[in-house]
Amino acid sequence: MVPQLIGISESIERIRELIEHVADTGLNVIITGESGVGKEVVAQNLYHQSIRKNKPFIKVNCAALPDGLLESELFGFERGAFTGAERKKRGKFELAHQGVLFLDEIGDMSLNLQSKLLHVLQSGEFAPLGSERDVRTDAWVIAATNQELEKKVKKGLFREDLYYRLNIIKFYIPPLRSRPEDIPPLIDHYIKKYTSQFNRKQILKPGPDAMEKLVAYGWPGNVRELQNILKSSIVIGNWEEIIDDLYLKSRSAAPSMSEELAIEGVSIVDVLLDFKGEYSSDYDSFSLKKIKKKALDRIEKEVISFVLEKTGWNRTKASSILKISYKTLLYKISDLNINPPRSKPY
Amino acid sequence: MNTPHKLLIIDDNKEILSALKDFFTRKSYEVISATDGLEGLKLLETEQHGFDLVITDLVMPNISGVALISIIKKKFPDTPVIAITGWGEHPEALATEAQADKVLEKPFELSQLDKLIKDLLSRKDN
Repeated sequence: MVPQLIGISESIERIRELIEHVADTGLNVIITGESGVGKEVVAQNLYHQSIRKNKPFIKVNCAALPDGLLESELFGFERGAFTGAERKKRGKFELAHQGVLFLDEIGDMSLNLQSKLLHVLQSGEFAPLGSERDVRTDAWVIAATNQELEKKVKKGLFREDLYYRLNIIKFYIPPLRSRPEDIPPLIDHYIKKYTSQFNRKQILKPGPDAMEKLVAYGWPGNVRELQNILKSSIVIGNWEEIIDDLYLKSRSAAPSMSEELAIEGVSIVDVLLDFKGEYSSDYDSFSLKKIKKKALDRIEKEVISFVLEKTGWNRTKASSILKISYKTLLYKISDLNINPPRSKPY
Repeated sequence: MNTPHKLLIIDDNKEILSALKDFFTRKSYEVISATDGLEGLKLLETEQHGFDLVITDLVMPNISGVALISIIKKKFPDTPVIAITGWGEHPEALATEAQADKVLEKPFELSQLDKLIKDLLSRKDN
């Protein structure tokens, strides 16, 4: 079954339109976007709308295998090509002949293999390990990555010529947080899907309040995270609890920060004590969960402000020090309401 | 009166696109423009009488100029294509491989592009 590309946002509409126009060209494609946005779904849709749909769709995850193994997976080997090669094995390029070869996580491929891949893309030929003959392949290469290849090219970690050769047709799938209008239709779709898949009573649909919170949530894990949440809703069945957990988990994404603060002499208890007054007269709203969330918010805000100040509000540097993506940093600056000092230009 | 030649110009840089459009409109061409490859491809597929010549940038979002050239050469083999490449970009070899009739590197003189267009159109008309 073809996985559906769900969404009503302009960017998803545009992706559907692009698929329709290029599925029959057989030109190299690169699909980019954060983890979990649905890059393979786009690849599958391209394949199913192409004339190759009855031929194989072969997927290789370039990050999952060590270099040598990935090479033999892609190109295959002859019997006796290396110790342990007891029989001949056909590579994925050969298996995907006339079909699609989906190279996931292409940004993780070594420079050595990149040059071999470039050779196949240029000539349409490759030699299995230990073989003297070249094998012709007519595999349609669709690559995907969550990395910014332009940056890797600049750093010399990704071949520029391969980059241009893959970048013939480019799909960019934006993260879910930048297309919140897609969240309700995605939720509807997966509720229907899982209801029939798990053969259970109807999954509880989130009410208007819960839906509002789900739409406002940042979804760092994108559609994959949303799928997991909906699966867990089958078990938990209480949207309030699910949403509380969701927000709590997203706040505690940096577990080492409180430790770092403790080392620098700022006690976490001091931070918690600040909440004492707020909760002392209203024990009904008091909960460890809420304190935890507020404390983490506060720590994050202080740490991020500290790093931003030290880097003179150089957000690229700060995100690298904090080991978070640039986009996450921008999101946190706005979410935690961190303001630059007025005297310092940035 | 002769019908003017119809050009399709595709570039994601709006300033360059508008400069090219103004210049060639003044030169009495009928100019249709697009700001990315997909928009350009849609115009190519829907233009009833086709275009006399296409000028395309190479590095663009969604459908690159290289892809457009390959598609044009397959679907409209008689339509000449001029590829223009930006500073510091090196996909010229790919454009040639995709059978662009000419590859022009930025920065270029508009008169240079004008001459190329005239040459390709007169070759096509003959």
